[in-house]
Amino acid sequence: MQNEPIHVLLADDDEDDRNIFIDALNELKINTVVQTVKDGQELIDHLTQDNNLLPHVLFLDLNMPCKTGLDCLIEIKRIDRLKDVAIAIYSTSSSEKDIEETFIRGANVYIKKPNNFSSLKKVLSQVITINWQYHTSGLNRDNFLLSL
Amino acid sequence: MNLRGTFNSSTFLKSIFVAALFVFIYISSVSYKHSVSLSKSTELVVHSHKVHIELEQLMSYLKDAETGQRGFIITQDSMYLQPLVIARKKINRSFKILKQLTKDNLYHKKNLDTLSHLINIRFTFLEISAKLSLVTPVNKRILDKTILKGKGVMDNIRVEINKMIDLEMSNLKIRQTKYEDDAYFTPIFMLSLVLFSLLVFVISYIKINKDLVTLQKANQELIINNAAFKQAEILGDFCYTRWDLKTNKLIYSDNLYNLLGCEPHSFEPTVENFIKFIHPEDRNIVATGAENVISNDMVYIRHYRIIRKDGELRYFKSLGKIITDDEGNKIHIGIGKDITQNQLDNLALKEKNRELEQNNAELASFNHIASHDLQEPLRKIQLFISRIDDQEGHTMSEKGKEYFVKIQNAANRMRTLIDDLLLFSRANKAEKTFEITDLNLLIEQAQQELIETIDEKKAQILTDQLPVLNVIPFQIQQLFLNLIGNSLKYSKANVAPIIKISCEKIVAQDYPILKADDKKTFFKISFADNGLGFDQQYAESIFILFQRLHQSNQYSGTGIGLAICKKIIENHAGFIYAEGQPSIGATFTLFLPE
Repeated sequence: MQNEPIHVLLADDDEDDRNIFIDALNELKINTVVQTVKDGQELIDHLTQDNNLLPHVLFLDLNMPCKTGLDCLIEIKRIDRLKDVAIAIYSTSSSEKDIEETFIRGANVYIKKPNNFSSLKKVLSQVITINWQYHTSGLNRDNFLLSL
Repeated sequence: MNLRGTFNSSTFLKSIFVAALFVFIYISSVSYKHSVSLSKSTELVVHSHKVHIELEQLMSYLKDAETGQRGFIITQDSMYLQPLVIARKKINRSFKILKQLTKDNLYHKKNLDTLSHLINIRFTFLEISAKLSLVTPVNKRILDKTILKGKGVMDNIRVEINKMIDLEMSNLKIRQTKYEDDAYFTPIFMLSLVLFSLLVFVISYIKINKDLVTLQKANQELIINNAAFKQAEILGDFCYTRWDLKTNKLIYSDNLYNLLGCEPHSFEPTVENFIKFIHPEDRNIVATGAENVISNDMVYIRHYRIIRKDGELRYFKSLGKIITDDEGNKIHIGIGKDITQNQLDNLALKEKNRELEQNNAELASFNHIASHDLQEPLRKIQLFISRIDDQEGHTMSEKGKEYFVKIQNAANRMRTLIDDLLLFSRANKAEKTFEITDLNLLIEQAQQELIETIDEKKAQILTDQLPVLNVIPFQIQQLFLNLIGNSLKYSKANVAPIIKISCEKIVAQDYPILKADDKKTFFKISFADNGLGFDQQYAESIFILFQRLHQSNQYSGTGIGLAICKKIIENHAGFIYAEGQPSIGATFTLFLPE
């Protein structure tokens, strides 16, 4: 569909989740380039290296050791070069508190990690093909949590 | 007891006594005047009589003289001349008396002068005629002429005397009338005044007596009240102070000394002495408080600490107020209370509360974390189950496939349990934002969420008009969702479920089952279904967490749904009850306060 591959970056401390994420993306018929980082610090280091390409979409797990997803979100939004990267929160939690906080901090979409593989594929294809410019302008608290 | 009334009547008494005093002075002066005038009248009457008598006397002396002269002329005996001389003397004396008696009466004086002249002439004639009778021969003609002349003078004298007597008699008559008048009216006047005074005194006496009884009663009451107050002070750990701002005199109640750990009246009641017992850090509070009471005339409450004589720290609360007595004096009344026990209880309660809150928070976070952290591995189990199912499912043996489905079901059930537990912990949490909400909207949204099951079971839901209430919207929606979901879940196989939702406004007193104030109004919302129902003996236990009436493989319940309902209803200060009849249906009734 697209000539240019879509760059996707995942920050998740769980190895299984990283692998399944990559599997799911690979099974999608979309031209993507996936990169993964193991924790918040690695994510920030990766993003702040000037010669690294910025991802089109960043999938951010919240519950990570040391630097949590929320910490990363706050930090990214402070950096001019990074603040326009689309950020999809990718978490097991669906607590009101987490949803509220990440919305306020400027995340673009909130995904609850699905329980089965086919749901995962569906969610990823949806998120990757979003027209971010359009999505962001119509973003509100009600459509922030992506419903399956 | 109306002491003010008694005080007022003492002014009344004072005025009565002042009036009585004036009446007495008046009575005394009037009676004095009357007595004086009476004695004057008497004197005047006596005087008139004296004058009268004296005049008669005078007349009789003259007659004596005449008789003597006649005797002498006839007998030529000088013995008869004797009375003449005596009469002359007596007449002179009588004249003197008369002059004395009538010295204030000009008319009498003139008459007396005339009379004296006439008497002198009369005597001259008497003497002349006596001498003439001695001459021999007697010149009868001259003698007769002299005697005749003398007789004429005598007639004049008689006329004159009679004139005087008449005057005196008419005077006497006037005086007599005046005297009689005085003598008649004085006693009546005096008597009526005495009677009037007596009346005043009797009234005053009755009044005094009555006031005395009232005062005695008031006094008695005061004594009893005082005794009761003293006991109350001791029992209630309070005390009072009275501070006369004019005389700067302070009075402390006995219990104040007791509360300070001292013997009553063991030190002089002064502000300085009291300040000594106050904790140094709190002295300012007491001083500014008193100033505020005095300058702003308002009731002022203060809290401060007291260090008792034995060094024990006590907490005090006091109230100051200015009252103004009948004479306009300002008096500062202070009531102090030892609130140490209260204070300690409060602190203990606060500590307990804090512990409780901490425990609660720990429990809530345990529940939350447990549910979350449990989700993580479960999600992976489910994810890998779906991977195996996708990729290796077709290579598995029949037995393997059967076991695999069981694993899948168990994992799904675990998922439901965790989700429900999360819901329960959410209903438990303190985020309770009440909003005025249309319950019709909430029930509609709940139905929307269940639309698939409703369609699948061909269920009919009949809903009354529901009210607009102040509720926590997402919780009430959850409540409706759980109740409708419950009815759908426990419906009879092959019978289309019918759920009737009815609503009415009720007053608590008509429903003794509600433990609420009689006058409080509630909305009674019932969910009645035609499902499996249940035995009434389980009507209460179904609301307990994890309590289930059906085997787990038969129905997919977790035993949390109704516990959540109960929690939500409790959050809204309402009530929920269940009624069931096996294989006829169940009714869940909610009472939500208006």
